[in-house]
Amino acid sequence: MTERRAQAPDAVAGAAPGGLRARLAAAPLVLYLAAFLAYPALVAVRLAFTDATGGAFPSLASFRVLVSDELFWRAVAGNLVVPAATVALEVVAGLALALALAWRFPGRRLVRAAVVVPFALPEIVFLTVARSLLGTRGYANGALAAAGLPAVDFLAPGTALSYATVVAVDAWRTTPVVFLILLGALAAIPEEIGEAARLDGARGFRRLAFVTLPLLGPALAAAVLLRGLDALRIFATPMVLTGAEGVPVLSTYAYHQWSDYGDDGAAAAAAMALALIAVVASIPLLRRREAA
Amino acid sequence: MRRALLGGAIAAVVASAAVPLLLIAKQAMTPERESFAWPPAWLPHEPTLENFRHVLAGAELFGGLVRSVGVAAATVISTLALTLPAAWLGARAPAVGRRLDAVLVLTRVLPSIAIAVPLAVLFVRAGLYNDPSALGLWLAHTLLGLPLAFFVLRAAFAAVPVELEQAARLDGASALGAFVRVSMPLARPALATASLLVFLLSWDEFAFALLLQVTNRTLPPLLYYLSAFGFPGLSSALAAIMVLPALVIVILLEPAFRSGLLAGSGR
Repeated sequence: MTERRAQAPDAVAGAAPGGLRARLAAAPLVLYLAAFLAYPALVAVRLAFTDATGGAFPSLASFRVLVSDELFWRAVAGNLVVPAATVALEVVAGLALALALAWRFPGRRLVRAAVVVPFALPEIVFLTVARSLLGTRGYANGALAAAGLPAVDFLAPGTALSYATVVAVDAWRTTPVVFLILLGALAAIPEEIGEAARLDGARGFRRLAFVTLPLLGPALAAAVLLRGLDALRIFATPMVLTGAEGVPVLSTYAYHQWSDYGDDGAAAAAAMALALIAVVASIPLLRRREAA
Repeated sequence: MRRALLGGAIAAVVASAAVPLLLIAKQAMTPERESFAWPPAWLPHEPTLENFRHVLAGAELFGGLVRSVGVAAATVISTLALTLPAAWLGARAPAVGRRLDAVLVLTRVLPSIAIAVPLAVLFVRAGLYNDPSALGLWLAHTLLGLPLAFFVLRAAFAAVPVELEQAARLDGASALGAFVRVSMPLARPALATASLLVFLLSWDEFAFALLLQVTNRTLPPLLYYLSAFGFPGLSSALAAIMVLPALVIVILLEPAFRSGLLAGSGR
């Protein structure tokens, strides 16, 4: 790659991709990753183990701040409950949509394209719209008022309802991902299998439970894994809808420590806790890649 | 039964797509003085384009637009420059490719905040924090773009038969020449896909922008603050401006979407 001299024909093997000089092709990328991924990661570890007040290193002061902070424990709980609920909801919704839209009907292409719209919108656009829809003086409450019903505070900080709202909004935005994975898998099921099941008398729910779902197994697992990893990193949805403390998760907690308290150490410690969870959770994904 | 299910699914899909788009359009065309009426009106009384005028005339908002376009374009260039040679190597030497894979997956798996906090600290030291031309954000967005571009380009190079490159070498081309004149042109559709994906990634990106550009903002944090401080008209006009390129790119990339390419991209 990096050599510019004209090559004699018999030198082809000398620049074979496995060769040392060809490997230089990856050097810029590797250097970049070292500078902007590996080095910041080390800085984060150092920050997390540095005492913010005295500057002592190594110190567990930042972790003591976290452990004694009630908001941190709510963020840990939120970072488990919200992603789990979101993925569960969107797998059910994505599966239902994929099964329904796999049928032939006029306008099918258009409806399938419309499924993707919430995910295609920039995340921040979708979330600010969701807030103007669900705020105390939002359109949802306007519709409730028009129907003579009392107002509902969908985003009241810390309430079960605000958690449910964050989960629903996040699932609304990301269900298209699950839908696309499952629709692709459904299309790959050979028609003969459906035929055979029908001849054997499997219909409706029985066919779904004993024929279609088992065949969708690998795709469902892939969807849960991919979306689950992504859901662990949840940040913008609770941040935009309820602020950093309304429905706390680890990312909003780290942001809160960094931005509102200027505590780099506590922020880095919380971010490290989350990174650890994410990396451990990603091991099955890496295994799959190896296997593939 | 089947009919009811299908009807319900279609209604849910149409509503979930139409509600956000219609709300943006309605609020963007509503004069700000009408925005706070209770109960909220479903249509503007005096539809107007003044919100768009304010966005484009306001120094901060227009500056944000220029910054967002600049960062996204620069990110495309830097990401492609870094991944093109590496993706070629990854395709030609699978053992090296797998190792790069494992590291690049990390950038997708790590939460944005976990990288953004130490980067912010480093950028403060280096004078890149809150840089007016968003140099620091550009460096961060390049990091996010790398795995996306690498996976797309490597798949494309893997589809180019190695014999074509060998033939060019036998005809006297250098290794670089064979790459530039034979493999790159054949990978052109993938180059376009990767460019659009990376542009969209930077255009939409919120977390790094929120942390690294605290006053010299790009559009996503600008939209966040405008909406949080109660300017539904202005923020919706800004949202409409942000949506347009995103929808165009998604329509252009529809085949890639369908093949599940974006499934793990976590946009």
